[in-house]
Amino acid sequence: MDFSLYIKESVLGSLSSVLTMAKIIIPLMMVMEVLKDSNILDRLSHKISPIARFLNISNNAVFPLIIGLIFGLSYGAGVIIESAEENDLSKRDLYTLMIFLVACHAVIEDTLLFVVVGASLWFLLGIRLIVAIIISYLASKVLNKMDMGIETKGDKN
Amino acid sequence: MNRREAGDNMIEESGKRGLKKGLITLWKLTKIVVPVYFFVTLLKMSHILDTISPWFEPAMSILGLPGEASVVLVLGNFINLYASIGAIVSMSLTIKQITILSVMLSFSHSLFLESAVAKRTGVSIVLVVFIRLGLAIISALVLNLLL
Repeated sequence: MDFSLYIKESVLGSLSSVLTMAKIIIPLMMVMEVLKDSNILDRLSHKISPIARFLNISNNAVFPLIIGLIFGLSYGAGVIIESAEENDLSKRDLYTLMIFLVACHAVIEDTLLFVVVGASLWFLLGIRLIVAIIISYLASKVLNKMDMGIETKGDKN
Repeated sequence: MNRREAGDNMIEESGKRGLKKGLITLWKLTKIVVPVYFFVTLLKMSHILDTISPWFEPAMSILGLPGEASVVLVLGNFINLYASIGAIVSMSLTIKQITILSVMLSFSHSLFLESAVAKRTGVSIVLVVFIRLGLAIISALVLNLLL
């Protein structure tokens, strides 16, 4: 293996990748901050409340859902742990919420990363959202039927 | 200060914060993408990738992916998305392959870290990992047929 060719290829290749990422990430992050400050979260929670009703989760679960959806699992989980400790969330809410969030979270950052390498933004975002809504809907149906069973299941793990 | 100026100020502040966050994200990305790029290029040029790729070829071809893309999936699931991005940019993949990888990895990534986070909320880790890997594999099978 030609060592100098290896170094040259790695340095040039990785640098040009980082530059491409910079061109997409920095402007989008700036737009995102501006949007975040222009009470768009409030308007979004109005938009999301029909989804919450559809998934049969309480209003208390809507805020952690939005936080996790936008900012990621760690932030979402932080809010969920807080709500769970204050007994705002039932076991069913918690499971429906977390099943939604493990499939679909940090939609802006995660989607952005793949757009950088050439994936389609709306395709990726659409698939993730639709699949998350479907599986958490199914989960809420199943959980409704086995309301008692979930208590022991949750405790075991 | 009138209302208009206050609004402009707010946008300026948000923009500055966004620039800072963008640079921080870029730095986080750089720290992992660059080493991974070096690593994958080493695998490629030393022909290690040519040796191991065929082992994964049969399983990967069902998902519509080349054998070498198994490296992307392993890095994404064991480390994080940044690592898998580093691997994707160092390979030459088609748009279809990139789309399949992107969907798989958006459903299933950083399994160690994120499962630990999910467990802290009180849900079962086994269930979480099962759902995520299941979604990744099913979506790849479907996309491979449709795209």
